[in-house]
Amino acid sequence: MRRLFNMPPQVLRLFLLAVGIVAVYSIARYILTPPSFRQYGWYRGEALTELQERDRVFAGKSACEECHSDEVQKLAKHEHKTLACEGCHGPGQAHCNDPKKENIDKSSFAACLRCHEANPSRPKWHKQIVVKEHYTGSKCTECHVPHSPTEVP
Amino acid sequence: MSLKTSRRSVLGKIGATLVGLMAAPVARTAKAAVQKVLVTTGAAKGYDPTKHKWVMAIDANRCIGCGLCAEACKKENHVPEGPYFRTWIERYVITRPAPGSGAPRGETLVDCPEGGMHGFPPPSVPKDQIQHSFFVPKLCNLCHRSPCTQVCPVGATFDAPDGAVLIDPKYCIGCGFCIQACPYGCRFLNPITKTAEKCTLCYHRITRGLKPACVEVCPTQARVFGDLKNPAPDDPIKQFYQNNLVQALKPHLGTEPRLFYAGIDKEVR
Repeated sequence: MRRLFNMPPQVLRLFLLAVGIVAVYSIARYILTPPSFRQYGWYRGEALTELQERDRVFAGKSACEECHSDEVQKLAKHEHKTLACEGCHGPGQAHCNDPKKENIDKSSFAACLRCHEANPSRPKWHKQIVVKEHYTGSKCTECHVPHSPTEVP
Repeated sequence: MSLKTSRRSVLGKIGATLVGLMAAPVARTAKAAVQKVLVTTGAAKGYDPTKHKWVMAIDANRCIGCGLCAEACKKENHVPEGPYFRTWIERYVITRPAPGSGAPRGETLVDCPEGGMHGFPPPSVPKDQIQHSFFVPKLCNLCHRSPCTQVCPVGATFDAPDGAVLIDPKYCIGCGFCIQACPYGCRFLNPITKTAEKCTLCYHRITRGLKPACVEVCPTQARVFGDLKNPAPDDPIKQFYQNNLVQALKPHLGTEPRLFYAGIDKEVR
């Protein structure tokens, strides 16, 4: 101990400064590291919880089924059974929270064409039409029922 | 040099030890107080990330390039307007080889207008010159050995125990190392928050028992999603493995993706 204080003063000052820096760093690190930092790995475990808490925009088919089970069941019997309600009708969480006609998309001509317009890149098994040649001037729903495509209206 | 132990020195040492012992609870209290101000605590956990292993598979034979997935992803995750995508669709057009060239296949043309969000116009090549054309939906490849998380200098991006590769937006400093490290180009810098962003597998949905938005809206079930640790009786992933020859993107990089593809050509990168 005595030997330490017998150091030349300029060396002693440097030594104390170094000790001080290390001490301040250690204390700051001890205090500022979030408690969940090493919960799962070298990251904040709480980030997982925070990412889970975000609000969703799409409600999911099961949420639609709570009120519109008749339509969902009808859809399940025909070729469009793999379609999600929100694929054509748009995101539905807002409609789910507050069911109104205004906050859900009615779906339209564009929704049909999005999948069924002919494109050479589309797989052959998929039914496609060339819009200019396929009954121009009439609506899709005049001949097709979107929820049960094999039916005739 | 004196080796005599005086009463004063002994008392001094005892005092120092006591102060040291008392400092520990003080430090703990100080730590708790500081963290109360600086660190927000998450809500109670009903989801244990160690009990799941999420996996996704894409059947390119079923993709019709409608772009619903890319659009749904943008809406669900509030991705900013412009060329920023967490998932997108690429169209591959492989032309016929020039007659007499001796090549088995022609040129490979790849396009992705607006991430494929609003569908695809007819290809630039006339129909009779196309040998093969198909759509490839892309997203985070969920690498088992992810290059992107290894380069993060601040521990802001990580492989969660459930297989999702996530970003902690509070820790991200926006340095962009991870964006350069991702061999699949799945990350971007959000121009509003100035932090890196990527597919989270819709973490807020999958932890509540829902499917990711892109899988939810896919009309042809080209995208399937499952949990390897809790497979459902009619698990779509199991069926995907049974019905397809499965491959991954860029296997030579050794990233061991957990995103699997079926029905893609060797040209797909």
